[in-house]
Amino acid sequence: MKRHTWMVGLVIPAGLAILWEIAVRYGVVGGRLMPPPSRLAQTAWALARSGELLVHIEATMTRVLLGFALGATAGTLLGMLNGASPLANRLLDPSIQALRSVPSIAWVPLFILWLGIFETSKLALIALGVFFPVYLGIFTAIQSVDRKLIEVGRVFGLSSAGIALRITWPAVMPVWIASLRTGLGLGFMFVVAAELMGASEGLGYLLLDGQQMGRADSILVAMIIFALLGKASDSVLVALSRPVLRWQDTNRMRL
Amino acid sequence: MTRLSVRGISKTYADGTEALRGVDVHAADGEIVAILGGSGCGKTTLLRLIAGLDEATTGAIEVDGVSLTGTNPAISAVFQEPRLLPWLTAEANIAFGGRRLATDDRQARMESLLARVGLAGYGKRWPRELSGGQQQRIAIARALIGHPGVLLLDEPFSALDPFTRANLHDLLLDLWRELRPTVLMVTHDIEEAVVLADRIVVMRPHPGRVQETLPVDLARPRNRLAPAFDLTKRNVLRAINRSLAEVPSGPGPTAGNGFSPWV
Repeated sequence: MKRHTWMVGLVIPAGLAILWEIAVRYGVVGGRLMPPPSRLAQTAWALARSGELLVHIEATMTRVLLGFALGATAGTLLGMLNGASPLANRLLDPSIQALRSVPSIAWVPLFILWLGIFETSKLALIALGVFFPVYLGIFTAIQSVDRKLIEVGRVFGLSSAGIALRITWPAVMPVWIASLRTGLGLGFMFVVAAELMGASEGLGYLLLDGQQMGRADSILVAMIIFALLGKASDSVLVALSRPVLRWQDTNRMRL
Repeated sequence: MTRLSVRGISKTYADGTEALRGVDVHAADGEIVAILGGSGCGKTTLLRLIAGLDEATTGAIEVDGVSLTGTNPAISAVFQEPRLLPWLTAEANIAFGGRRLATDDRQARMESLLARVGLAGYGKRWPRELSGGQQQRIAIARALIGHPGVLLLDEPFSALDPFTRANLHDLLLDLWRELRPTVLMVTHDIEEAVVLADRIVVMRPHPGRVQETLPVDLARPRNRLAPAFDLTKRNVLRAINRSLAEVPSGPGPTAGNGFSPWV
């Protein structure tokens, strides 16, 4: 009984879908701007069968994952550096905070001017979006590590490197992973922005194409696939992090 | 074989607060010395200096006649809170204290200590799955695994209920009989000091200084209900009252010392 309680969440979307389907079937509404589920399934099937959908998914996921890897790596390294070294922090953090105040999308024109309209500028935008939450997360987490636990490390003879590795790192791990999840979410947000600004493939292209061709069905299919991909990537991240976060309350893992 | 000598230790913090002035404390090999005093007498500061977590302004700390700087493998500590590393299991937390031991030796000692503190079978639990008393038992095992010559205890039982506290007093004495570390413990609990210590150093506050040192000439195991036990407690209380009487009405709260002069 308990195991199936999550299905309650399906009641509203499934109910609405059925109602919409019926309303369109019986001519209550037109369905041109809001196609019924059966139409969406047909469109998705057609896109999948032609191989077109896979091309779009591949293009989008490659951009998200590459941009995420770049942004998360840079954010983690700089966050660790500034969290560990007061000098680096005083030197770098004000500039990073200032750059953070610029809405990431505002970089688009400059990125296009500098890096062209192809992949590089897209990756730069996604990486930038991922960078800030990861940087901020790990930086604040390092600064708020319990001084008392650090003292335990000192009393039992850990070097500074030992403390960093065996106290600070595991202590910041939960926040780091949470910030990676936020970053990944933003990665998906910025891949849409990047693909809307001009692309010949990708789910964002499918959105734009749907708009220009007046195909609400392909727009909706792209949106649904974005939702599925986002959820799936987040689940993979959570699953990967589960072994290292086992010591935490299990409740938190489900959030 | 570990003698601990604290000679003429003073500590003034950067903000000008004088925490300790000219403190001398000595502990012979295998002796249990209790540092007794209310808040503001610098007893925790003293322990932090010995542990190497803070630096004294003047004075020296010696183990077997050798002056110490910083933390030292001969000195281990149990804090007021268990301070277990939440990402390590109970047994990994114990093993953490024995980082300097060889792997085989560490594993064997970890298992024996886990059993000695009464938590055999709890080794794979996370700290959050243990009660406060159980966590403090693990912390004691962690402090003892590395064969420390000196064990520092910073009010380790003050947050526990009286039943758990009495149990842990017995456990500590058992382990001490077996391993014979020199123990320096800080407490504000007179009964705890009389139950555990060979000598009691009474401190007075603002700034922290040694008021006087009292021997506890009671055979172990000690009976908390015996008249001689009561007599010792009253002697300690008198010493505390003397320390309070001599406190000038200077800075800091005098009502907050934790003791009321009722003898």
